[in-house]
Amino acid sequence: MNVAMGQKPFVAITYETTESNKTGSWRFLKPLYQDKQSPCSAGCPAGEDIGMIEMLARQGLFKEAWETILRENPLPGVCGRVCFHPCESVCNRKDFDSPIAVHALERFLADAAVGAALTTKWERLPQKNQRIAVIGAGPAGLSMAWFLSMLGYPCDIFEALPEAGGILRWGIPEYRLPLAVLQSEIARIEQLGVRMRTNNAVVSETFDELRRSYSAVFLGCGHAHGAPLGIAGETPESVKDGLDFLRRARQGERPLCDGFSVVIGGGNTAVDVARTITRFGGNAAILYRRRREDMPAFGDEIAMALEEGVELEELVAPSAIEYHNGRLRLLLRKMKIKGQDKDGRGRIVFDGKKTVKKVIDHVFAATGATAAEPWYSPPLAQRGVMGFSHCVLLLEAGGAPVIYGGDLTNEAKNVAQAIASGKQAAMVLDTYFERGIDEIKSRLEACVVGDGPALSMEAYLGGPRGGRSSHLVQYGEINTDYFQNETRVTQPRLAVEDRSCSFNEIELPITAESALREAGRCFNCGLCDECDNCYVFCPDAAVIRSGNMENRHINYDYCKGCGVCAVECPRYALIMGGEGL
Amino acid sequence: MDRPAQIKFPIPEEELVYSGHTACPGCGAALAMKYVLKGLGPRTIIVIPPSCMGTIAAGFPFSSLKIPVLRIPFESTAISASGIRAALDVMGKEDIHVLAWAGDGGTFDIGLQALSGSAERNDNIIYVCYDNEGYMNTGIQRSSSTPAGAWTTTTPAPFVKDTPKKDIVRIMAAHNIPYIATASIGYPADLIRKVKKAKEIGGTRFILIFSPCPTGWRYSPEMTIRLAKLGTETGIFPLYEIENGEKYTLSSKRSEKPLRDYFALQGRFRNLTKENLQQFEERVEKEREYLKRLAG
Repeated sequence: MNVAMGQKPFVAITYETTESNKTGSWRFLKPLYQDKQSPCSAGCPAGEDIGMIEMLARQGLFKEAWETILRENPLPGVCGRVCFHPCESVCNRKDFDSPIAVHALERFLADAAVGAALTTKWERLPQKNQRIAVIGAGPAGLSMAWFLSMLGYPCDIFEALPEAGGILRWGIPEYRLPLAVLQSEIARIEQLGVRMRTNNAVVSETFDELRRSYSAVFLGCGHAHGAPLGIAGETPESVKDGLDFLRRARQGERPLCDGFSVVIGGGNTAVDVARTITRFGGNAAILYRRRREDMPAFGDEIAMALEEGVELEELVAPSAIEYHNGRLRLLLRKMKIKGQDKDGRGRIVFDGKKTVKKVIDHVFAATGATAAEPWYSPPLAQRGVMGFSHCVLLLEAGGAPVIYGGDLTNEAKNVAQAIASGKQAAMVLDTYFERGIDEIKSRLEACVVGDGPALSMEAYLGGPRGGRSSHLVQYGEINTDYFQNETRVTQPRLAVEDRSCSFNEIELPITAESALREAGRCFNCGLCDECDNCYVFCPDAAVIRSGNMENRHINYDYCKGCGVCAVECPRYALIMGGEGL
Repeated sequence: MDRPAQIKFPIPEEELVYSGHTACPGCGAALAMKYVLKGLGPRTIIVIPPSCMGTIAAGFPFSSLKIPVLRIPFESTAISASGIRAALDVMGKEDIHVLAWAGDGGTFDIGLQALSGSAERNDNIIYVCYDNEGYMNTGIQRSSSTPAGAWTTTTPAPFVKDTPKKDIVRIMAAHNIPYIATASIGYPADLIRKVKKAKEIGGTRFILIFSPCPTGWRYSPEMTIRLAKLGTETGIFPLYEIENGEKYTLSSKRSEKPLRDYFALQGRFRNLTKENLQQFEERVEKEREYLKRLAG
């Protein structure tokens, strides 16, 4: 108080700032930064950190975004094309306008990385002594090898066919998955030191030998054997295997399919077979015993097939086949819907005694597949057998542990689940070797993304993702005041006339500009993107920011706990907790 | 990973408010002050009459502002600012801004004559009224800014206020001063833009800032910003600017949400009747039409 009395009138002058007043003592609720789980990540079988990937992509950090995918999924170029993207159907943004085009962005990031010849130095765990044999170079085996390499295990992949890829190489037509895309992903896995031993079929004798010379064997040779229809008059010549047809087409052959072919089945294989036939110049019809809406094939693929001239007949089931004047005559029974099955699809029953006869040139079965050898199948539950959601571990005296994965163990058989299987198997084996059998279950539980069963390798390796709360963010928890309606990116496609006569890839890339815009639509549910709302809206100037998350914090000396920051957090990455927290 | 360190929100970084001030948790007025000072910068002298902000900014012996504050009697906000302005001009310190800062009680009621005088003389000051629709500091008494249908301690239920809020902006517009704006703490970027615009103009400038008050409006403090936004989104508190008393510019903010969204959050409107709501709707619609017409 340096006021010279007598010279000026008396005025009370403050001499201290309010900073000596610790208003934090008023607080009974405490704001906390807490990253959470987004529904997309939990919905992704591979558990990709999608909210983070889109956040990085929006900031133009394409390389970092791509690396973030690879931490959980070694095949982004493949999954960006052929995955059924369950992430999109659970995207919170669907309740606002339309879901994020996660698959288009994943593909964009993968292609951009390949285009720019990006490489990355992975921080891998120190090399282990155990060598692992991986049987089958399909998505499960590739994923297993990738994650095992991350964990420091040298491994060799044994593949019966001349090239790696499994169903990706031999089952999915090139118009959906170009060869170059697959090859670059396999090359990246090989760069980690994985040895690829192609043309190396494992039979039961060599299998036993592998169990002696390796520390563990992963069996992921898939369901590559098409199941027969089981109808009267069926022979391998009259009813051909759809998978075998696709395999031969991808080997560069032109399998016989002139005239009119029918494909029995409703899955992607059936649609792929029919579309491949039209590309070879034949005519094809898909015959399905249920309705179009019940087909397990992707809706978009069915629609495109119809555009390309494939016919679809619903509610017919084959019952007999015979030769007829050098052609084939297929006897079909008509079906009708009566009620609903547990999975929500229509339950079918015979429609009285109604039948149809069809005279055609070829019949292809695509009604499902099984393991080629009975010993591929995992053993039933017994002593020494541990079952997990995506793999089965067999421990028995007299041989190295065997771990079954991929289609052999997965309930849902698709690429993403196969990748999930490889990842889980890698974690199971690593925990078994490092910490023993009793710790496997708890260690896996600690890596679950959201409500599971997806697992995070980043969390397994002790990365920051493991520190997130397990809370799955709901749409109502997003503050939509900070988002505007924006149209979802549409992936451009080849015109019908250009695609139905060639095997060129149908889906065309999106531009970097639209990728940025699409990534910007993402709510990044539960993840702080440093939008600064908490800082801007704090009435007590008690949010301290300094450019990065490590230093962003709340000054609890002054925070009164009003909760404005938590409400105005667009992404639900800030919550109010009790003072005791 | 290197990330840019600038603030993402388009507002200035410099913080001219200290923590530890005695505003209630979730105070809208404290935010209004934070934003206005971000817009005006440190070369500012502020004049505050009795009000919540008087106790928040300078309760002896503490001050929560990093700029000089002069506490003055209730009715003399504008004229005190005019006096400081005159003194600064004599001293040749023309780059210093003089900010008169009063609540709605000190503006709509008690300080109106001084404000009208300064405006008539077009004194070179910026006058900010943070509008929380009542005498909140003294215990939630009604002011002429309190809307019809609202409970206060002097309009207790069921005798809630039955006259509508005074339209201070029209009164100020009638003075034909160079710049008038309404702003809301729900839209800091817009608010600061208006402050910066006012800063560049000479003469009397008047800014009315919508500042929800959790204590007086009877809502949970975390809803302050949500409520501020709802005020504008429902059309209760339209955002616009008036230059020279005639050029109207509407800030493009949505105003499509139903009024009940706004009322439902606040305990002070618990006694609102259907007729009240209808009257409100009509008034909001009329105001919207009026502003649209003037903005052309």
